[in-house]
Amino acid sequence: MPHDDIAGRGTQDPTAGRVATKERTETPAADPASSGLDTLAGARYSTNEADDLRSLEAGLDRLQTDDARGTNAWRTFTTSVLPPIIFVVVLIAAWQVYVWIVQPRPDIVPSPISVVTAISDAWQSDRLQTAVLTSLERGVFGFLIAVVVGTPLGLLLAEVKPLRRAIGPIISGLQVLPSVAWVPAAILWFGLTDATVYFVVLMGATPSIINGLISGVEQVPPQLRRVGTVLGAGPARLATLVVLPAALPGYVAGLKQGWAFSWRSLMAAEIIATGGTIGFGLGSMLDQSRELADLAGVLATILVILAIGILIELVFFAPLERRMLRRRGLLQGGTK
Amino acid sequence: MSGQAAIRIEQLGKRFGAGPLVLDDVNLSIESGEFVCLLGASGCGKSTLLNLIAGLDRPTTGAIDVPAEGAAVMFQESALMPWLTARQNVELALRLRGVARTARRAEALELLDTVNLADAAEKRPHELSGGMRQRVALARALAQDRPVLLMDEPFAALDAITRDLLHEELERVWRRTGRTIVFVTHNVREAARLGQRVVLLSSRPGRVAGEWRIAETSGRRIESPEVAALSIEITEQLRKEIRRNAA
Repeated sequence: MPHDDIAGRGTQDPTAGRVATKERTETPAADPASSGLDTLAGARYSTNEADDLRSLEAGLDRLQTDDARGTNAWRTFTTSVLPPIIFVVVLIAAWQVYVWIVQPRPDIVPSPISVVTAISDAWQSDRLQTAVLTSLERGVFGFLIAVVVGTPLGLLLAEVKPLRRAIGPIISGLQVLPSVAWVPAAILWFGLTDATVYFVVLMGATPSIINGLISGVEQVPPQLRRVGTVLGAGPARLATLVVLPAALPGYVAGLKQGWAFSWRSLMAAEIIATGGTIGFGLGSMLDQSRELADLAGVLATILVILAIGILIELVFFAPLERRMLRRRGLLQGGTK
Repeated sequence: MSGQAAIRIEQLGKRFGAGPLVLDDVNLSIESGEFVCLLGASGCGKSTLLNLIAGLDRPTTGAIDVPAEGAAVMFQESALMPWLTARQNVELALRLRGVARTARRAEALELLDTVNLADAAEKRPHELSGGMRQRVALARALAQDRPVLLMDEPFAALDAITRDLLHEELERVWRRTGRTIVFVTHNVREAARLGQRVVLLSSRPGRVAGEWRIAETSGRRIESPEVAALSIEITEQLRKEIRRNAA
């Protein structure tokens, strides 16, 4: 039906055009007069044709674009939320069944129930809340410091080529270095204080953030910069209005990885560096349970650490990333 | 149309580094409000010439005079900012031109309406078809409000139906706004369909190898007999120029 429409207009229009041409060639006139007539005829031509063109274009636009399909909440639930939940439930069930049938020594394989009991014990004694709050506060604060340090450094390295050639490989190397390696040095420098923990977190997270920003800026299509220049943007506005927004996907990926590294580094630091003025975090709680040979407590703490990592990813980074990618058309549908 | 020259190119030469001459002794005078198509085979330096006019590059020899306000440029790829809606893309051009924040929205919508895209103002580039994206790019180029509009094969990547419509759209916009348009293409029919003047460039090095002026420009279609006749004539000359490279 819409195809017929286009074909119909297509055959109609050339004749209309030709008639108009003939009309004008038949009027013999001096140059200035004809140019006046020309604009008059041109005006009539454009109002008639403009409406025609408008509807034609509207039709073609409709044919060439799909209406965005709304995301089905139930479908999202069944395809991306349900499978991991089912998997975890099956895993725990298998674990419990194993404990029932084999009946291993509880100090080597505790049952899921005893792990849950360990968590609730820690909760009732307030140790869990203190540990989670202390660790979260340090993790988030350390990560924010890493963002504040890493972002300008990343921008500087991305925009100044000689600097990047000199420092870039070292930053990439630092990303490979396990941040636990900094713990002994940090203890010698800062003693058993919070500064040690923050230093390790900083060294863990900053390289990821810098690298993410650099790769984001590198992946900015050159034509976007060119357009920015053509539109009249100087270096400063080119950076803020074109390059930075275009580099956002790489930057967010770097932030996400930076958070993961922060959290890991923090746990490593808390497990190794205990005592002194360092408060009681999840890592310290883990170490304490190990000293008491309380495997259920160790497993419980591991689960809490894992859960917090996943929770921050799910609640904060995943929606941020998904929204950004969908806006740019880099993510189709969202359920795949 | 007898305006003063909007663009004057004199004895222009361009080579990149120590490479071969890309453009050699190009002389061209483009009047204000004129629609000129620059036509040539690959390697004739059409895009180089356009970049020189746009001020994105400097000539090796010779001189180019362009209006002090500069020129707006439209490329083959629409190069819209993917994180901005159609309206925001146009508003970006307005912002960089120095239009006050309060006036931007209305002006952007008006410009989008000029290219029949008022309904798609809040869509993002990935939600638009190729033809719609090029129309947003055209609206953005118009937003710059420069007297000269340079177009580098803007419709080359589009399908024939869409391209045909965009020819009409561009012609309408040109008549309405009175812009000087320099349109680079390697499509002979497109040049014969759109231009008031078609300038043929030879290849390696690029020189002006022929010029055709079209007296009657309204009511032309890609399938019009006069367009076909002119295309045959230009193609003949173009093939002669290409054949010279075989020797």
